[in-house]
Amino acid sequence: MNLRPSISHALILGCAVIAAAPALGGVKLITLPARERVEIQLDNMNATLVEEERVVPLAEGANEVVFKWANTNIDKASIQFRCLTNPGEIKVLSVSYPPGENALIWQVFAPRAGSARVRISYLIGGLDKTFAYRAIATNDEKTLTLWQYLLLHNNSNESFGEAGMWAGFGERLQRPIGLNETKRLLTARFDNVPITKTYTADFARHGYLDAGKQQLRIPMHYLIRNDADNGMGRFPLMPGKARIFQDDGQGTVAFLGEDWAPFTPLDDEVLLYLGVARDIVVKRTIVERKARRRFGPIHEYDIVVKYEIENFKDKPVVLDIAESMIALRQEILGNKSRSVEWVLGDRGTLSEPDEAKSTADRPVFHVKLPARRDNQKAVKIEHTFNVVIRNEW
Amino acid sequence: MNANLTRTVTASVIAVGFGLSGARAENIDVSTLPSRDTVQLTIYNAEDLTLVRETRHITFRRGMNPLQFSWANTLIDPTSVDIRFISHAAELDVLDTTYPHDKPQMLYWNVRSEIDGEAVVEISYFTSGITWSADYTCVSDRAETGMSFEGFVKITNGSGEDYAGARVRLVVGEINLIDKVADLARRGLISEAEYDGYRRDHKKANAFAKEAARTEYFRAAGRMMSDFNAPKSIVKQGLSEYFIFTIPGEETVRNGWSKRMRLFAGKNVPFEIVYRYRPAEYGDQLVRLFILRNDEKSTLGSSPLPDGVVRLFRDNGRDGLSFLTAYQTKYVPIGQEIELNLGHDPEVVHERVRLRAWRDNFWFQGRRPKLYFSPSKGHRIAPNYSIVGWDDHEQWVERIRNYRGKPIQVEIRREFNGHVIFASNLDPTLYDYRSPEFTATIAAADERDLAYDLSFKQGINMTQNSVTLKR
Repeated sequence: MNLRPSISHALILGCAVIAAAPALGGVKLITLPARERVEIQLDNMNATLVEEERVVPLAEGANEVVFKWANTNIDKASIQFRCLTNPGEIKVLSVSYPPGENALIWQVFAPRAGSARVRISYLIGGLDKTFAYRAIATNDEKTLTLWQYLLLHNNSNESFGEAGMWAGFGERLQRPIGLNETKRLLTARFDNVPITKTYTADFARHGYLDAGKQQLRIPMHYLIRNDADNGMGRFPLMPGKARIFQDDGQGTVAFLGEDWAPFTPLDDEVLLYLGVARDIVVKRTIVERKARRRFGPIHEYDIVVKYEIENFKDKPVVLDIAESMIALRQEILGNKSRSVEWVLGDRGTLSEPDEAKSTADRPVFHVKLPARRDNQKAVKIEHTFNVVIRNEW
Repeated sequence: MNANLTRTVTASVIAVGFGLSGARAENIDVSTLPSRDTVQLTIYNAEDLTLVRETRHITFRRGMNPLQFSWANTLIDPTSVDIRFISHAAELDVLDTTYPHDKPQMLYWNVRSEIDGEAVVEISYFTSGITWSADYTCVSDRAETGMSFEGFVKITNGSGEDYAGARVRLVVGEINLIDKVADLARRGLISEAEYDGYRRDHKKANAFAKEAARTEYFRAAGRMMSDFNAPKSIVKQGLSEYFIFTIPGEETVRNGWSKRMRLFAGKNVPFEIVYRYRPAEYGDQLVRLFILRNDEKSTLGSSPLPDGVVRLFRDNGRDGLSFLTAYQTKYVPIGQEIELNLGHDPEVVHERVRLRAWRDNFWFQGRRPKLYFSPSKGHRIAPNYSIVGWDDHEQWVERIRNYRGKPIQVEIRREFNGHVIFASNLDPTLYDYRSPEFTATIAAADERDLAYDLSFKQGINMTQNSVTLKR
């Protein structure tokens, strides 16, 4: 028997051949089988499953296998014991839980003496994961390279040594996990991912940059698609902080900004907000509000919203213009609880909404903006959005 | 009587100073402590209630025999303590029972004996603090077509008393109690009316326990006593509205300890996978469910499944498990479905999109009450008329994207208030008067829009408060 005088682990597996009633006190000799293998399953969003294998010596007949833990947050009810050696013959008869202790005792029957490999699995608290992303865009902002990292925070008060890990996607990882360590593990890398840079004028969502001048705040996003055509699409992307850098053309990178990447299913888009585009100036004014009575108190409202747009960048861009129908009705009629019935009027330049991105409450249009002129003056473009809000009273 | 001795011995019977009736006021006393011969625990899971029946051998002498029963530091209900004579019942009688005012967890029986010699007595009482619960561990195969399904029972003894070598039975079902045993244990003695009522309950539970004991228990216990190399096969037996799990042989459950044993093991239990959107049941998300049945065909069905936590794992194909969910399940009768809710599935994307909204079928009221006008009927509507009725229309799709490698079955159920017309080509049916539902299959790696139209009748147009289906 291998009796080790000191124990560094918070988790202890002891095996004792005890004929009498179970008790953790008293004089006894126990073996302390070391971990042979540890697998940490991180694929569940809310819980971490640890599976460890140990080789325990079993005597013929009834054995007691004691599993103890201290200062770790193990879900006692989740602990499972499975014998990998002769599972048909070596059987767990019952499990006892001593009072006031983080321990349990399996009564295990073995038909003959010998070593048996057992697997013990349990849910553990304090061993958490988060995800983080780092992206470096090319100097021309056409593509980027995206790294996905798994951040493993081991506050479980247990050292797991060399452990295998699986995040639920990608390859299995194997690294030593020490006490109170945080490990950043590369889980995926995506090269040459095309970027679409978007600028969005949406008063309801982003408000004014300068309310007095009715100048809208225009956020700039990197849009990437999580699909195979765009060099991604291997698995849904877990939420996490994304830091975005850009190749500055001089051998180094510049930090552009960071954003929380949401959970992104396959084929969905990730929009990463990088900051406000100050070189694109958009003023939004409601220039017409005509009420027409249809019958009785029922009216329809013919609205024209004007956008005056200037692009001070030295390259052309595409601006997305979105109007929330609920917000627009609130501007002209105040709060109403019913849904907005509307149709596009025929007097606006914004007449073809993007069907894929529009909803019943929010049409989206794309507008091309030319680069500024050689004399550094921007071309002022006007667009109008004509909508008829119907059947209001 | 030695006061220290009384404190250290819990739930003990003491034969006090033979032949002395009413001798409890004496300061110097002689007593013997007959030990337990057998003890049986019948533990109820719906209430904090355990019926303890223990037998002891006591030597009586002809005449009056005072017996002291004390239960210091335990949770025994004093009103439930009862004694009966298994042997020499015709020659032994309890003449009176005394609860001394200065010793709250103690009573005296005055037993009149017509024999000189030994008799077997059975003492029964209710105690609180012993509980049992069920839990289940399921491991799905990698292909998610079958699973192992193991049920366990866990007994926890917090009663303050060690029960060594006890025969244990666990009762599933709800028994009617007027008072909680734990309250009675704390409160001590109660009124005579309460006491009578309580004794009736006690007798009922006692009779129930005896009936169960007569049948399966002894056969099973005898069968299993010699079978020590396998987990005990817990005997399951239905009785009236209850179900009893009898643990073969004897168990020692010490105070403060818990013990968990396997109740049953189902292998290759088949199950279906269904995706459901039912906000009233599962919250506002499309959830993934494993649905199996507690029946023999599924290698289950040997007993109802008591309330308990189901922990569901899956073979992850890497020589290990993935934890899928832990789920509190309600009591599942034999033959009923078991639902295991895995929650949101990242590989199935569900979007609810409103495509369009509009209104029509307006009705107005002028000055005269109960006279309504509609523009669609050619009526002239003055500006000062009030609107009294209209229809709101909405066009919706439930957009499902299935990234799994096999087709999935989706069930959508929505609940509406008011007078609603639900129109769809998806063969909807009504779950109840206000909840239309429909099902659809989404092929592997496919996307599908499940479309329907809603019309809400408002004002005087509303003549019902229910959903009408229209195909």
